[in-house]
Amino acid sequence: MSLTDLMSMAKPNLESREKIFARLCGRNFLNCYLCIKCTSGCTALKLLELKPHEIEKLVNLGFVDELASSDIIWTCATCLKCFQRCPQKASPYHVIIALRNLAVEREAKVPEAYMKAVSQILEGGLAEQPQKVANKKMETCDREGLKLPKIRPPKESFQTVFLKALEEKPS
Amino acid sequence: MKLAVFWGCRILTSQYEYEMSVREVLPKFDVELVDLREMLCCGDPVKSINDFAADYLAARILALASLTGVKDLLIPCNRCHFVISEAKRLIENDEKTCGKIAALLREEDLKYDSNMRIWHVIDFLHDHVGLDRIKKAIVVPLKGLRLASHVGCQILRYSDLGRVDDAENPVKLDRLINVLGAESVDYAEKLDCCGAALTYSHVDSALSLAGSKLKALQGLAVDGLVVSCPDCGMMFDSKQKDAAATVGAKLNLPVLYYTQLLGLALNIEQDKLGLHLNQSPADQLLAKIPS
Amino acid sequence: MTKVGVYVCHCGLNIAGVVDVEDIANYALTLPSVAVARHYTYMCSEPGQRMIQNDIRAHKLDRIVIATCSPRMHEETFRKAVSEVGLNPYLVEIVNLREQVSWPHNEEPQRATEKAKALVRMGVARVKLLEPLERQSVSVEKNVLVIGGGIAGIQASLDLANAGLKVYLVEKAPSIGGRMAQLDKTFPTLDCSACILTPKMVDVAKHPNITLLTNSEVTKVKGFVGNYEVTILRNPRFVDEAKCVGCELCTQACPVKIPDRFNENLSQTCAISIYSPHAVPKIATINPAYCLKLKTKNKTVCGKCVQACEAKAINFDQEPEAIQLKVGGVILAVGSEVFDASRVLEFGYGRFPNVISNIEFERISDASGPTGGKILNPKSRKPPRSIAFVQCVGSRDKRFHEYCCRVGCMVSLKQTILAREKLGKKVDIYVCYNDLRAFGKGYEEFYRRARDMDINFVAGIPSDIRSTADGSLYFDVFESGTNKLLELHADLVVLANGLVPSDGISKMKELFHVLRSRDGFLLEAHPKLRPLECSTAGIFLAGACQSPKDIPDTVAQASGAAAKVIDLLSSGEIELEPLKAVVDKDLCSGCRICESLCPFVAVEMKKEEKDGKEELKAEVIEVVCQGCGLCSAACPTGAIKIEQYSNKQVLAQVAEAFPAAAHKGGSHR
Repeated sequence: MSLTDLMSMAKPNLESREKIFARLCGRNFLNCYLCIKCTSGCTALKLLELKPHEIEKLVNLGFVDELASSDIIWTCATCLKCFQRCPQKASPYHVIIALRNLAVEREAKVPEAYMKAVSQILEGGLAEQPQKVANKKMETCDREGLKLPKIRPPKESFQTVFLKALEEKPS
Repeated sequence: MKLAVFWGCRILTSQYEYEMSVREVLPKFDVELVDLREMLCCGDPVKSINDFAADYLAARILALASLTGVKDLLIPCNRCHFVISEAKRLIENDEKTCGKIAALLREEDLKYDSNMRIWHVIDFLHDHVGLDRIKKAIVVPLKGLRLASHVGCQILRYSDLGRVDDAENPVKLDRLINVLGAESVDYAEKLDCCGAALTYSHVDSALSLAGSKLKALQGLAVDGLVVSCPDCGMMFDSKQKDAAATVGAKLNLPVLYYTQLLGLALNIEQDKLGLHLNQSPADQLLAKIPS
Repeated sequence: MTKVGVYVCHCGLNIAGVVDVEDIANYALTLPSVAVARHYTYMCSEPGQRMIQNDIRAHKLDRIVIATCSPRMHEETFRKAVSEVGLNPYLVEIVNLREQVSWPHNEEPQRATEKAKALVRMGVARVKLLEPLERQSVSVEKNVLVIGGGIAGIQASLDLANAGLKVYLVEKAPSIGGRMAQLDKTFPTLDCSACILTPKMVDVAKHPNITLLTNSEVTKVKGFVGNYEVTILRNPRFVDEAKCVGCELCTQACPVKIPDRFNENLSQTCAISIYSPHAVPKIATINPAYCLKLKTKNKTVCGKCVQACEAKAINFDQEPEAIQLKVGGVILAVGSEVFDASRVLEFGYGRFPNVISNIEFERISDASGPTGGKILNPKSRKPPRSIAFVQCVGSRDKRFHEYCCRVGCMVSLKQTILAREKLGKKVDIYVCYNDLRAFGKGYEEFYRRARDMDINFVAGIPSDIRSTADGSLYFDVFESGTNKLLELHADLVVLANGLVPSDGISKMKELFHVLRSRDGFLLEAHPKLRPLECSTAGIFLAGACQSPKDIPDTVAQASGAAAKVIDLLSSGEIELEPLKAVVDKDLCSGCRICESLCPFVAVEMKKEEKDGKEELKAEVIEVVCQGCGLCSAACPTGAIKIEQYSNKQVLAQVAEAFPAAAHKGGSHR
């Protein structure tokens, strides 16, 4: 493409754009005609300045690389309002998830909590550690104390297969 | 009837009152809950890392569910319900992905079963059990209670996937509240998000979103907020004080899971419903229940 | 001895740029029975045609093959050219060397030339087997049926009537005028809609050549172009049209209040009323669904209107009346409907009383409307301090209708200007838009006018609209010009919900077997070159039933459709293409397969007596038959065939396509 972003001197990268496309399973960001409805209703706009229409257009034009290494793609609250109300069924949510996957693939910055969740799942099956909670009388309670069934962790075989799944890249 | 149940992570590790109330309430409608062989993550946080791996995790849960011999799977968490629904849709429409996931499952002698019917607590109670049956079972009508409902985002959107209720005009949870004798109040911010997903990366923003909604709800002068997702419960109930601090407001809103409310109407002991575990001032609401 | 002339056209460089036209012409000369073969730059030009005509005279040619562009382009031209020198026009065969050779195979000139030669060879074999055919003339009725009494139907009727044709204008509502009668002003001139429309409505009522049938519907159609038999059902008004003087005393007396459809249910009218402020005809009508006497079928109930009517015009015993008419052509002008904005749930139409649609705003702004022309909030009935328009509601939306409604932007612009004119500076006016389409003559200037009047254009659409306790509205919108998230408060929100196909369109499809395009509107014969007619002969289109459009385009299309009808009917007869299906009755077994397959309902089964037995034989209605060939392909006995497409003729071409194979099996020359 014969474009240059004069602010950053970046050029579109159509190969990276293809990677996003490959992850989207048919949802077509090329259809976006910038009605801005998604951004008008975006849960994360006021506090985190996430503009889904901007992300959609940037990917559309091929400016994928900067986005994949940005912080903004991690601000989405996954409320799905953008896809629900988009008149062209161009889902910014799915584009953002695809950008996140690309960021991980390229070992760009990923919020620690996600990586921690993955390693927790590998270890014990759940993404969280069981917590003790306080009841009204300020006593601490846990599953055992509340007579809830024990947590059954996954079989050993799970770890290897899950790791394989994590290695999978879209064709 | 037998109902397989998948709890996800949040309920099993901190939102115990939701689990307790579900386990107490459903048997009153002749439901026998069957836990899966293993308890593990649905793949929700993994979606952001590797979408395919998340679909695999979701498919694995459906495969585990089919091992129980039960065709119906209850998923009380909104996020799990969404992840598993999306994975199901993808596997059933994309041969390539289906093949890859089937191969991975085979390594553990597991098989994906497309005949699993997925339920959430709301549609299971509203569509399957039915309002009439619930009404007949009520022992303590919750007359006089004005409540607000928060259905959450991921069981309403996106409509194309086939969700639990209508995305723009959800009515099921409100009807479930009304059938107990209480009044579910409409409000402008009804479809706003609790912000839970942002706790992975932007905790303050997540709390700010929850706090703003709580503030608006408080302005409605309702007796409480009813939720039915552990992430929403976490934001509005467990983290109410933190949310209040973040938005600089005094928040005093009782927040209950719907199954806890239903349990009250069925006259089940409060402690059995986990009502001693709610971090929000649930007592305020309990005091208003006619005895 | 047959003498064939072969003419290879260069078509400029279109054909000659790929294939070797000289080589093809030389090859043609080697074919049996070819007496003359030439090539030329533009065969369809005057010198090209004269070349063919001179050869016909000089060499006594009796069959012509023209290797040129698609027959859809110039087949008619060449038919005319040969008939001018006495050769039957159906002894001409067009071989398509452009769309079928040079255009698709432009990268392989040598193979393309071989293919061209093969096609010419096939054409020569076929043309020798063609028989002369005559065009048949059939007489036509010089009457026209116009369905729909909006501006499209009104304009078409006047044009037809002025040209001397008799017009039957059928309108299902009690008055003509349609959507335009509901408008306050029209863009971009801000003409008062009623002022420019009502004179035409009166002209229609008074014109000696127009029979106005209001409160009526078309229920049955039979026949074919030039000779349609239509049944029109006149629904009872329960008021004698000859006696009613339009004084409205009955309305004042009627105790039953019903929503006023003409005012988009923003006000009430009575069970007996005159349909609209400028109704033509100005005759009262009783709505049988609401009238106490008619609803309960109880003759003793109410009757206040009868007491009030001094002209004694009310007649509860009126029955529906069916009229049979014979017409030569039909113009469909049934219009469209407004999109139901309540389907876009997030905008609150139907839930919030102060969220209204364009057409409701129009009624509010109209002096003859529910508020006497004052812009007022539906709920508080006070003038709004802030009005927000939201564009593209239900249009350009894959969830509802993908197409652009074409008029939404201009309607909203007009309404912002009217609001500014009526409310002055005290009101804030916003238009939330995606693209603002002001495409027509004077439209861009109209947009500029709106901006000059300090109307705020917000480049962004809101995600949802919310209501406060007092009924006023607010929403967030991201304005992409300033990159700011704005919170907008409006007492009144107007949604630009577009136009959608109406029930009338479905009815027309059923009655006339016309087609619909993917968007649900009626399908024109060709989107660019034949936008005024359907592919069914004798049925023409005007107005929004073909696609959403504004008044200038509607009037233009209506006059155009009228001109087409005049063209069709003015000579009193029409000529038919002879390339139709014909039935060899001796071979017909009466199986009715052709009748069931024909998409144009052009095959009839007729009872015939043979040897004392009654048999069913197929008969083709030539005027309706389009020569599509479905029947011929399906006929198990070969009884029905298309002229010039007999098995012999087609197989001769097939044999010449693969001459090596033909030689093996024996040639069919």
